[in-house]
Amino acid sequence: MKSRKPMAIVADIVKYVVLIAGALFTLLPFVWMVLSSLKSANEIVQIPPTMIPREFMFSNYAEAWAEAPFPRYFLNTVFVATVTTVGVLLTSILSAFAFSKLDFPGKKIIFSLFMATLMIPGEMLLITNFITITKLKWIDTYKAMIVPWLANVFYTYLLTQFFSNVPDALYLAAKVDKCSDLKFLFKIMVPMNKNAITTVAILSFIGSWNSFLWPLLVTNSTNMRVLSHGLVRFQSEAGTKYQLVMAASCILVVPIIIVYLFLRKYILEGMSYTGVKG
Amino acid sequence: MKTKKLMALTMAAVMGASLLTACGGGDAGTTTAAAGGDESGIQPVTITFWHGMNNKQEQSLTELTNKFNAENEYGITVELVNQGSYSDLQTKLMANAAADTLPDMAQAYNNYFTDYVDKVVALDDFVKNDYPDWDDILESYRTENSEYGKITGVPFNKSTYLFFYNKTMFDELGLTAPKTWDDLKHIGEVIKEKKDLAAIGYDSMCDMLEAALRQHGEQYVDETGALFNTAGGLETVQFIMDLYNNGYARLVGEDNYFSDSLSNGMIGGYVGSSTGVSYISTDIPGKEFELGVAPVVGDVKNAAYNAGTNLVMFSKDANKQKAVWEYMKFITSKESTLKWAMDTGYLPIRTSAYESDEWKNFMAQDITAQAAYEQSPYGFVSKASFTGSNEIRSVVSTTLNELITEKADAQTALDTLVAAINDVLE
Repeated sequence: MKSRKPMAIVADIVKYVVLIAGALFTLLPFVWMVLSSLKSANEIVQIPPTMIPREFMFSNYAEAWAEAPFPRYFLNTVFVATVTTVGVLLTSILSAFAFSKLDFPGKKIIFSLFMATLMIPGEMLLITNFITITKLKWIDTYKAMIVPWLANVFYTYLLTQFFSNVPDALYLAAKVDKCSDLKFLFKIMVPMNKNAITTVAILSFIGSWNSFLWPLLVTNSTNMRVLSHGLVRFQSEAGTKYQLVMAASCILVVPIIIVYLFLRKYILEGMSYTGVKG
Repeated sequence: MKTKKLMALTMAAVMGASLLTACGGGDAGTTTAAAGGDESGIQPVTITFWHGMNNKQEQSLTELTNKFNAENEYGITVELVNQGSYSDLQTKLMANAAADTLPDMAQAYNNYFTDYVDKVVALDDFVKNDYPDWDDILESYRTENSEYGKITGVPFNKSTYLFFYNKTMFDELGLTAPKTWDDLKHIGEVIKEKKDLAAIGYDSMCDMLEAALRQHGEQYVDETGALFNTAGGLETVQFIMDLYNNGYARLVGEDNYFSDSLSNGMIGGYVGSSTGVSYISTDIPGKEFELGVAPVVGDVKNAAYNAGTNLVMFSKDANKQKAVWEYMKFITSKESTLKWAMDTGYLPIRTSAYESDEWKNFMAQDITAQAAYEQSPYGFVSKASFTGSNEIRSVVSTTLNELITEKADAQTALDTLVAAINDVLE
């Protein structure tokens, strides 16, 4: 075994110290959330704050859990986020393929019109979309929470850019081999852009998971509400019960961590491809 | 804030368009209390009530409503729908006003419906024909609910701003709760000198300004603009800026509420909502203190800022209107308002409730209730029935924060505030 040069050892030590410091720094908010969720009402407002709770108040979890029907909210959120994500992937992939590889009249104009809609602030659409949903009598249904988000111009644009990078020669070669457009799309195009598509899926899922205003607008019954609505129940006009917010957040973050563990590889690759900050 | 403004603009556009298309439709869109006061023959019906109450407040509201549902003789069922926080409720009402799908009734501040006041059912006839003791309701609440030239609602969850202070610290320094502006300055001096702390803070800067102006016999704002560009206005602003420039008062910063500072012994006292008392901890180890609660100070007059929403009716159906009115009568009754106030920390809305034995017994153990009672004759509600009133609130708070941070002199502060308010209304 070859003995290592002292310089290399020092470099390694510096590298790991920096990495560990970075890891701790990133973990801190999460650790803080968990520790805060176990503090008592008077300890959470104490200045300077304590790191480790004097007394572990596991009752915060029971109290937070009892405040809203979280299991139902959880199911609703998962369902809405999943269906929205699958739907938005389908529409984005199909339209991105059309814009990048197919020739049809008015392609450039339609694409420009698509892009132009990115300039309209979401708030402007809120009320008009709401009125549409009301006229369709979709209030208080899953449809109302899902259908308006099934197409997304930004994701279409993102995927169009990725698909455009795939050489036309591949597409034409497939054509020569009598491969249909759809077959080419799902057998070649999609696997080649796996990472970009995963990124879109993750962004869409997180967006849907965190959405608050729209689901609130289009639902009225407790059965149809989502997790983000549960979290605001600890706020009032005169203050916020932070220990309960933290306890509820801890409960809610568990499923996200599980998803992350399964998809870790794709998420990291996807992020580095698009430069989206995690 | 920007979100709300954009949405309001969109809504105005949508409603304008619907007016055009509904041109020949007669008065179908305007709601009047055709059924006002005729309580005979209400058919069994379910009415929807949107609210923004959470925790123990929601619990108490549910208990009251269950009682009404079980006991009313008409077969009326009130369905409570929680719409999140006030701001969520406001957004939701705005969108539903545009889509013409408002609930039968809702909690609302007057500034929620400046853009759709025609959709709020006028309650004048109901009050006249079927509300035996309207005058028993505190005057400031009656005034507030008549601001639009018709009775738009009945008062519901009402709170007031009180002075919460560290009584242990005050006792130690030989201080008592301030009653006048001069007292306040004195307390500021002593606490600054002996403890190097600010003596006072205000949770809401715009409400503080309006209360101070009224205490000094001045007026604040109406739909024409700022009304305090006067000698008295300058004196008021001078008083406020002195408090801050001398270090007697400080800004709340990122905490949003002073309850945490008071709990940690980092301020002598603060003016905040009576409902916030449950957020004050007096038992942090090493920082224990006795809490004192007092009415807010007065100057040439006493004036205390009242907050809290009213219940408004949107239903267009005559039978439902009558049902909603039955519920409104129930929820504003002496018995209900007492239970509500004792459960939640809100205040009774009736003089008779304030003077009842139940409330007196309750006050004997509840210093917050006691202080609220003491200042109840001086309560006022900020005028909010004109377009821009909502935005003025945030503009005044932001401007005051900036002026105090810059340690501006009184004349600059006054000019800047007046200009900022008038800008909103132009």
